[in-house]
Amino acid sequence: MTRPFSGRKDGLSLSEALPDRSLFALVAMMGFLAALTLAGASGARALSARWSGGAAQLLTIQVPDANAPLPAQGGGSATTTRVQAVLADLASLPDGTEVHQLTPPELARLLEPWLGETDSSALPLPAIIRVKLPPDASVPATLEQALGTHVPGTIMEHNARWGERLRALANSLLACAGLALLSVGGIATMITGLATRTGLATRKDIIKTLHGLGASDSYIAGRFAWRTATLGFGGGLSGTLMACLPLLLLLQMAAPFASAPLTTPDRLLPQNWQALANTIPSDMLCALALLPFAAAFICWFTTQVMVRLWLLRLP
Amino acid sequence: MIRLDNVSWRRGKKDSGPVLAHLSFAVPQGGFRWLLGPSGAGKSSLLSLLHLENLPTDGQMTILGKTVAQDEKRAALVRLRHRIGMVHQDYQLMPDLSVADNVALPLRLQNRPEDEIQDEVHAILKWVGLGERLDVPATRLSGGEQQRTAIARAIIHRPGLILADEPTNALEESQACRLLDMFAELSAMGTTVIVATHNESLVRRLERPFLFLERGRLVDEGDAQV
Repeated sequence: MTRPFSGRKDGLSLSEALPDRSLFALVAMMGFLAALTLAGASGARALSARWSGGAAQLLTIQVPDANAPLPAQGGGSATTTRVQAVLADLASLPDGTEVHQLTPPELARLLEPWLGETDSSALPLPAIIRVKLPPDASVPATLEQALGTHVPGTIMEHNARWGERLRALANSLLACAGLALLSVGGIATMITGLATRTGLATRKDIIKTLHGLGASDSYIAGRFAWRTATLGFGGGLSGTLMACLPLLLLLQMAAPFASAPLTTPDRLLPQNWQALANTIPSDMLCALALLPFAAAFICWFTTQVMVRLWLLRLP
Repeated sequence: MIRLDNVSWRRGKKDSGPVLAHLSFAVPQGGFRWLLGPSGAGKSSLLSLLHLENLPTDGQMTILGKTVAQDEKRAALVRLRHRIGMVHQDYQLMPDLSVADNVALPLRLQNRPEDEIQDEVHAILKWVGLGERLDVPATRLSGGEQQRTAIARAIIHRPGLILADEPTNALEESQACRLLDMFAELSAMGTTVIVATHNESLVRRLERPFLFLERGRLVDEGDAQV
């Protein structure tokens, strides 16, 4: 025996027509992929912004035999080293320019990935000078030539050249991420469409009866759409949560490349999860938080369209 | 008021022959009509047409005072269908629902308050003799009980038109007679009733005007006797 009145039941029994497991699991997988793609897109966007924002104003100057005396002009005594001569030339750059010669420890840290922690003092390393121009200033066109003439062998690298290429790369990555997201959305739409069609096929007679009893298209489409939206939200939420662990691990591994590194990743699992979580960009967090709602909307919209089109067969 | 003027209906392609051809008749509000004819005559098709499950391909049809256009808007059809009660030959009950929930469906689709729905359902099920069977799942009812549940569901929202397709098929003689009395009572209360049947004894018992169909055409229309 059942209770005589069971509230708003209408006989559609959508929990049976649209079973939880298949749609939920598939949307969860799509949510997982979408979360990873969003993270990639967010990373590419941040890199693009960083490279396009600061790199154009940066110069790196290498001075080989930095401490060797510069041959005196006009046969006088040599009192200036090569690096001092370069620094003197750089003093003529516009006001607000930051010129910094890397100290031996900074140089050692820079070379650590290649040379390890071995003592590099025995190596004939060039002096490295970092120049950061003020935002509205540009590199004088004659600087490279002037430095080369004055201190032969000096190499000037204008980061903007690399920045252009890296920015193009980042934009390509961003476009790929966008396409991947579109594909994930498209697959989610198709999965929902198939699930809805299956549900309609199994409930065909009941829908016809409800229709005959005066159920409107909105009512029937709403009942199916609510069901798939609920499953889509649950699946999207699960997929996003599942993606959080690999995302945090990726962040941990990417930490040394970040502008404000957390710690050296000597362990695969981070020790300070809270600190790591705080490094997630806010736009990425927003996108991840919206993902379950986006999944629910895709499911709801697809089902609404599918059911309404199907109902057009009925008068 | 039901009125058909030269109404035809064909299934599917234009070049297929009409299932119903050139039907013209009228039933006043509160009128009762037997719908008679051999199997395949088009009785169920005519009831489907009157229930707006199909729309005429030719002619003009007026249901409960509203002329139904061939391109009538779906929302308007839904509103009109709310005013029609249909008892199908195969009952079309919801297998997962109890008797009470089945009967409550038309009211729930109209968003009526739940307490009002429960009062109405109790009353109507008592009237059809199922007052003690409210909580029984539809699948566990006998044929006669399913038939009465379907009738209760068709009339609970007090429709202006009741259509019944062979409603006494699964009923014993005494139950069929009781059902007829119910239809007569509804008709007397102002509900238009059209009942398709093969059961001649039933028709003799309740002498009312009839429509006789043969091969989709209305071949006879009489006042009382077959």
